[in-house]
Order: sequence, then structure tokens, then C-alpha cells
Amino acid sequence: MNRQRVRTVQQAINRRQFLGRGAMFGGAVMLSPALLAACGSDDDDKPGSSSTSAGRSSTGDLLVSNWPLYIDPTEDGVTGSIDLFKEASGIDVTYNEDYNDNNEFFAKIQPDLAAGNAIEPDIIAPTFWLVARLISLGWLDKLPLDLIPNAANLVSSLQKPSWDPTGEYSLPWQSGMTGIAYNIDVTGRELDSVDDLFDPAFKGKIGMLTEMRDTLGLTLLSVGKDPNTITFDDAADAFDKLEKAKNDGQIRQFTGNDYQDDLIAGNFAACVAWSGDVAQLALDTPSLRFVIPDEGGMQWSDCMVIPKGADSIVEAAKFMDYVYDPVNAARIAAYVGYNSPVAGVQDELRASDDPAVAALADSALMFPDDATLGRLKVFKSLSDDEEAQFDERFSSITTG
Amino acid sequence: MARGGEDRNQRKGTWQPYAMLAPGMLWLLLFFLVPMLILLRYALSEPTDRFSGKYELTFRFANFTDAIGDFGSQFLRSFAYAGIATVLCIVLGYPLAYFIATKGGRYKNLLLGLVVVPFFTSYLVRTIAWTTIMGDNGPLLAISDGLSLTGLLDALKITTNGGMLQTQTAVIGGLTYNFLPFMVLPIYVSLEKIDLRLLDAAKDLYSTPRRAFWKVIFPLSLPGVFAGTLLTFIPASGDFVNAQFLGGPNQQMIGNVIQNQFFKLNDFATAAALSFVLMFIITVAVLVYARLFGTDELSV
Repeated sequence: MNRQRVRTVQQAINRRQFLGRGAMFGGAVMLSPALLAACGSDDDDKPGSSSTSAGRSSTGDLLVSNWPLYIDPTEDGVTGSIDLFKEASGIDVTYNEDYNDNNEFFAKIQPDLAAGNAIEPDIIAPTFWLVARLISLGWLDKLPLDLIPNAANLVSSLQKPSWDPTGEYSLPWQSGMTGIAYNIDVTGRELDSVDDLFDPAFKGKIGMLTEMRDTLGLTLLSVGKDPNTITFDDAADAFDKLEKAKNDGQIRQFTGNDYQDDLIAGNFAACVAWSGDVAQLALDTPSLRFVIPDEGGMQWSDCMVIPKGADSIVEAAKFMDYVYDPVNAARIAAYVGYNSPVAGVQDELRASDDPAVAALADSALMFPDDATLGRLKVFKSLSDDEEAQFDERFSSITTG
Repeated sequence: MARGGEDRNQRKGTWQPYAMLAPGMLWLLLFFLVPMLILLRYALSEPTDRFSGKYELTFRFANFTDAIGDFGSQFLRSFAYAGIATVLCIVLGYPLAYFIATKGGRYKNLLLGLVVVPFFTSYLVRTIAWTTIMGDNGPLLAISDGLSLTGLLDALKITTNGGMLQTQTAVIGGLTYNFLPFMVLPIYVSLEKIDLRLLDAAKDLYSTPRRAFWKVIFPLSLPGVFAGTLLTFIPASGDFVNAQFLGGPNQQMIGNVIQNQFFKLNDFATAAALSFVLMFIITVAVLVYARLFGTDELSV
């Protein structure tokens, strides 16, 4: 699920697009897990761990792996959150934007974690369903919540969520909505239904996401099934619908975050999309719209977790505490345009001196109303066997 | 030559050729044979469970038949795309190599340099560039629309619904573009070696230029064509980059399937089996091809 800033200049767009592509290359060219692991970070030297008074490991440095462009950078004379955190805490943090795809990242860390070895990052930000898998595999350490007082700012709707029932393993980084993005110049009309994606008038002009829970989730809603309680057998209609659309040439491409490029270029008339992306792209391309379709939309969260055996637990806690301060969370939210999980962000934005930032407090995409929230579904937490069935069927459609 | 050989054998021990071979052999052993055996082990194994990353060697040969059964259409598509791209490379590359070799004159090196210039850019960047060129609002379609050719191109199945990106045309075009230098260079080398006085001899024997080309030049350049074909067809068959960026879900090649099995589905057994099936088919195809061409002196 890709990210971007809300306020931008054309230069930033170009850079983001470039990075987005770069992210795809990274995934595309890496041919072995060992190679993948080797590319994870250039921060190889982990000095021997020393214990703190709390008995938790600490090395004084911190390595964070997050999705590309998911935090405000230092640029154009404005200091970004990472550098501000460095100043405030004195912690030497290395922030890598090497998390490009859930399945790919999992494939990259799996050999080490399965063998009981620690991986290099101290914080990673998988999407909620992968958090659930990592918890069930026992590959995460519990968060030192006593060192993260600001965790109390977590909005109530995300406390003890379905993927982390005790709330001990994860803190959401950002949440977002999956709906339909469209370019009104190409469609020639407003869209309001998932079935618009299957309209033959847009044949060969429709994009869908490789993230199964988003693409299949919307399709399930369009055939009247609830993604929150779905079984593999019940999903047959939706899979068939997708497969037929693929075979008919209705679906032009299954993409990752680079759907934005095709949307801006006019290659896609409409596509399955993430809310934060469109909120921002529309600033430069006013013909772009985002809608939660009548049938409903999907809701997701990417969560900060600590991989098992990470050696900078204390620093990781300080970082989490920092980004859960509403002031800092508001700065990040203003850049990425997603739904911040931190209470008080809306007030912080509204209080901003910058009218453009203050206006974000009224953004329906960043702060959806209750009616919209009521139409959002979270994809069911699938068991291993179920997930294997879903993944296999879905990939048989995406790789024709 | 025989004399020199005898001298060398008498003067020096027989271990030297092996010593010269050793680094290469060691390299192949460590980075080709050993990984191949590891891959073979995966291909015959079953995962103990989905995420443990552990595989049990059960000699499950059904992995291979499953691979062919489940992904037969992608195999066929890959070989069809690679085959068409190879033929296009010969059609485009041979005249180019011929021109450079015979008419290049003092610009020969410059022209060869131009053929190689694309390699100065990353393979991926070159491929991505085509997404812009072939995009719905890109220059290629703008030209064909401007010339009112899009209807004709649609009828010829070169474009689909007036679009080019995410079609067969785009994938085959991308393969052809990316592998063209691998065809041009070996053909050039074999043409370069031909003694042009043979053409004079053919003329003296009352041959027309056309006949001289087909009877003299072309047969002598076949080793280059053969080498170029291998250098183009083999990597094109296993390519996944062009299909990923220029193709749509109906144009995915076997390389995309293997990548997906390895890095999305974590199914190493199926991915390894697919890789072996791909290697096997390519090996057989190359052997048949070599036999048909029947040229023994393929040491280009």
C-alpha cells in the first residue's frame, strides 16, 4: 500500500514515481532469498548488545524498514520527522524505505526468522493480515508498552484489533481505505459502483491491485458477499467474476503502488486504489476522483511491529512513542494523507498556521465520517490453509 | 601447428591445461552446479508446512507433471513470444549487421558502438521507457492516430482496442528490442570474418549479387545466426521483465510464474520444478535446432 505526501510540487511527484518504480525493480530483480536479505540494509554492524536497567536490549542505534514515502522527508528546507527524532532523542536511526510488498517482504525475512535468527530491522510495518501471520508464527516480540506512554493515544477503534487481539504486538502506523480511483476525463462520468470496474465501456482500461485483500475484497462486495466472514467456497463467484474480466481483457494490469503512473498517464480509466494516494494526486491532477463504492470499501492498517530477536528494543519504543505524539503524528499524516491512528491529529492539523494544512482537518479521505466508516469492511483473518487456497486461486488469475 | 603442439607437450607438463581450467571449473562448480543440485532437491521435495521454509525430500516427481499441467499455457506462450522475437531479431538484425560489416567503412566502430549503446542503460530502465513510448497517450499511438493507422493496426491485431501497452505486441516488441544486440553482434562477427574476395570469385563465375549472397555469404554467416539465435531465444524464453511491465495479466510468461511462485506464494518446490521443466525444454529445443542446422563448426 503506497504512500504519498499531501502537499507536493511536481518535482516531488516525479521523485515519488521514480521511487515507486525503483521499488518494483527491487522486487523484480532479486532472485534469491539470500540476495534479498543481503539487500535489506547497509547497516550491517550491530555491536554486541548491552542491557538497560529494564533488562531490555539496546545498541544505541535503530533500524526501521517502512514502505516507500510513508513519512515526511527532509527536503525544501523543511526538516523531516526522522531528522527531528534524531535531534530529540539522540538515537542514530536508519530509516529504510525497502518495504515494497507484503508477500515479497515476507519471503525476504522468512528464511532467517524460520531458522530462529534475528533480522536486521528493529521495526517493520506489515499490513494487518501479515501481522496476524507473524504473531501466529511466533516471529514477533511483544512491544514494551510501558516505554511507550503515547500508545494511549491510539484511537479506540484500533485498540485490540482482530489481527492482534491482545494489542501487545502491534501499533498501527497508518490506516487507509481501498476504493475506486478514476480519471473523469477518461471515464466521462462519475463512478459509484464496483461494477463500474467491470463495465465493458472501460475494456482494457481497468487496473486492479496485486494485494489480494483489496482487489478480491471489492469484488466480493460487488457480488453481495461480506469479506469479513468469507470462506473459500463462498468466494467462488467473486473469483470467477475476476477471472472472466481478466480473460475478456477488461483488466489491463494487476499492479502494486505504480497504479498511480497509469492513472495519471490515462492508461487506466479507473482502478482499485488506496485513499491517501488519490487525496494527494488529485491536487495535481484535478480530474482524478476517489470514491468508496456503494457496495462498500475495504479498510486496512499497516502496523509497526518488532521482529523477534531485534536488538534495539528501547530505541524502537522511543521511536514509536515519538510518532504517537499527536504533534508528530499530525506532521506525518499531513504528508502521507492516510488515516492516522493517533487521536488528536485532526485538532493538531486544524490548529496549523498553514491554511493548506489546516484544511486537511476537513478532508473526508483523511477523516471519513461515520457513514463512510460504516461501509468499510476489514478482510477476514484467514487460516493458513484457507489463505493458501485464496492466494493460489488469486495468483492463477493475476499471472494468467 | 602440430609441430608446436608436440614441442609444448614435451617441454611442459600436462597439468597446465588443467590449472588454466581450474578457476572456471571451480566457479561453475560453486555457482552453477551446487545451486543446481539445491534447486533439484527443492524440485523433488514437499514443504513440511507453509511458512516454515523447510522442505522434505520425498522424491515427488509429480511436482514436474503438476508444473506442466498447471502452467502449460504460460510455457507455450513463452516459447511463442521468444520464437517470434528471435525471428524478428534475425529479420531486423541481419541486414543491420550486413550493412555495418560490408558498408560500414571507417564508421564501422561507431555503428557497432551505437548497437551497444542501449547496454549503457539498465535493462529495466530501457523496458520501463517503453511503457511511456507505448502508453495510451504516448508518442507511438499519437503517430498512428495522426496517420489514421490505428484502425488498420487494430485489424492486424498489432493494437487492441486502439491500445498497445499491455498487449502481445508490446511484450514481443520489448523482447525484440532488448535482445536485438545479442543477434546483431554475433552475426556481425561471422560476416566480418568472411573474405570479401569470395564475392569477386562468385562474380567471376557469372553469379548475380543476389545468388552470390545466398550461396556464399549467407551459409558462411550461419554460425553467427545460430549463436545469435541461442543468445536471443534462451534468455527471452525465461524473461519476466518485459511481460511484467509491457504485458497484462493475459501476457504473463513462465518467468513471471516462477517469480510469483518463489517470491509471492513461497512455493519453492513448484518454482524449482518449473525451472527444471523450462531448462529441459530449452535444452531439447537447442539440441534439435543444432541437429537440424547440422553445423559442426559452431565455435563462434
